[in-house]
Amino acid sequence: MGLLTVIKQIASGFGATLIIFFFTLLFSMPLGILVALGRMSKLKPLSILIQGIISVLRGTPLMLQLIVVFYGPYYLFGLKLSTSWRLYATLIGFSINYAAYFAEIFRAGIQSIPVGQTEAATVLGYTKVQTFLKIIFPQMIKRTIPPVTNEVITLVKDTSLAFVLAYQEMFTYAKQVSAAMSSLMPLFVAGVFYYIFNLVVTLFMNYIEKRLSYYN
Amino acid sequence: MMKKFAAMLLTGVMAISLAACGGSTGASSDSAPAAEEPAADAAAEAPAADAAAEAPAAEGAEDTEFIVGFDAEYPPYGYLDEATGDYTGFDLQLAEELCKRRGWTLVKQPINWDNKDAELDSGTIDCIWNGMTYSTPERINAYTWSKPYVNNSIVIAVVADSDIQTPADLAGKVVIAQSNSSAEDALKSDELAELAGTFAELQRNPSYDTCFMDLKAGVVDAVAVDIGVARYQMRNNPDTFRILDEPISTEQYAIAFKLGNEALRDQVQETYDEMLADGTVMKIAQNYADDNLPDMLITE
Repeated sequence: MGLLTVIKQIASGFGATLIIFFFTLLFSMPLGILVALGRMSKLKPLSILIQGIISVLRGTPLMLQLIVVFYGPYYLFGLKLSTSWRLYATLIGFSINYAAYFAEIFRAGIQSIPVGQTEAATVLGYTKVQTFLKIIFPQMIKRTIPPVTNEVITLVKDTSLAFVLAYQEMFTYAKQVSAAMSSLMPLFVAGVFYYIFNLVVTLFMNYIEKRLSYYN
Repeated sequence: MMKKFAAMLLTGVMAISLAACGGSTGASSDSAPAAEEPAADAAAEAPAADAAAEAPAAEGAEDTEFIVGFDAEYPPYGYLDEATGDYTGFDLQLAEELCKRRGWTLVKQPINWDNKDAELDSGTIDCIWNGMTYSTPERINAYTWSKPYVNNSIVIAVVADSDIQTPADLAGKVVIAQSNSSAEDALKSDELAELAGTFAELQRNPSYDTCFMDLKAGVVDAVAVDIGVARYQMRNNPDTFRILDEPISTEQYAIAFKLGNEALRDQVQETYDEMLADGTVMKIAQNYADDNLPDMLITE
């Protein structure tokens, strides 16, 4: 079994890893902003509820959350699951978990904007929505790029947790090739894939950060 | 301000287009002729959609799908063929032939062995056909079973130059088995409780492959394992491992269905019996002659 075959096999699982990665970011970031806003809401019950949800999502293993999302519909509601549910459950599990982390990052970003700016905007006749969209939000994005990059890099590696639902992502493949060959080498090849992927992610995020620092 | 928005919009668009790109990457690997699991995912959706579009008998289309759950790290019964990228193995080849005869579409669904019951209960798989041991009252009562089809024995594998010669030599040694495997069940059973009590420790690991790596690396002294799996490992690692002559337990493999699903079991059994009668099962077993499968087959 040549190295080339191993690389080809592991690469065939890379698409599945990319699917988790991109869809998780796509869903969890907007969700994170909504959750952050809810968390900061003046409506106490809403704020407390969301604090509780964030607390559970950050305080329990992602692996457990994936299992709950996947089997929950059957064990809680008796619904028969379909084959495609494996992918959807993976995406839902990852998205809500990452939304909890993003929400706290975004909250930090929003609260770091001096309150004087909001006051000035009010004086100038901006509505609350306008103030948020045109003044707070753009600055929040800029300030939270470094911690968001942290999460994105973690996500690249966390995708391998989808193995617990037997979703066939790259690391699951690497383990299967490893089993078929009785060798550890495929796992190291997978490691190289993750590293290169993260290198690209880091460069891309650095580029965005530079593009957004237009005042410097 | 507009510039800021433009930059953000651009970021958003990039993220979405990358996501789309991610999707298409997945799709292209799906449609690759080497039908691995992603293809199984696609296959699960595509035929159903096609059938619904073409034939009014959409219900029949769903019935013809036969989802076999298996551990893809369990050669020679179910594993990834590196050359073709497809899942194969003795049990999967049997399932392929069976589906061909019944006109079913086979979906090979790799599962996490620890979750096999939940997979079966929730309907994400139709059966477990993967060297599943028909033994211990708990197991027998937990599933609806086919007739046993393979005689298996649980053996002890050690490194070639080990001083362990008989199960009795395992006293004070560290033994490992796959978690929730029949080897683990056997060692926990009453018959083997005495033997297992002499071990320094019985460790468990989700994959037999890792168990053998542990053995090779020297962090465990022995692996309790199904003989077919042990032989596959010995074939892949010549002169590394040795099997003790005396098996610690003998047992049989059967196909496990969800408890109460006799209808599907009977259909599968009927076709399997035909395949057995006309020699097809033996022919498939010959593909795994190196792993001793022809001798292990139950032929009556």
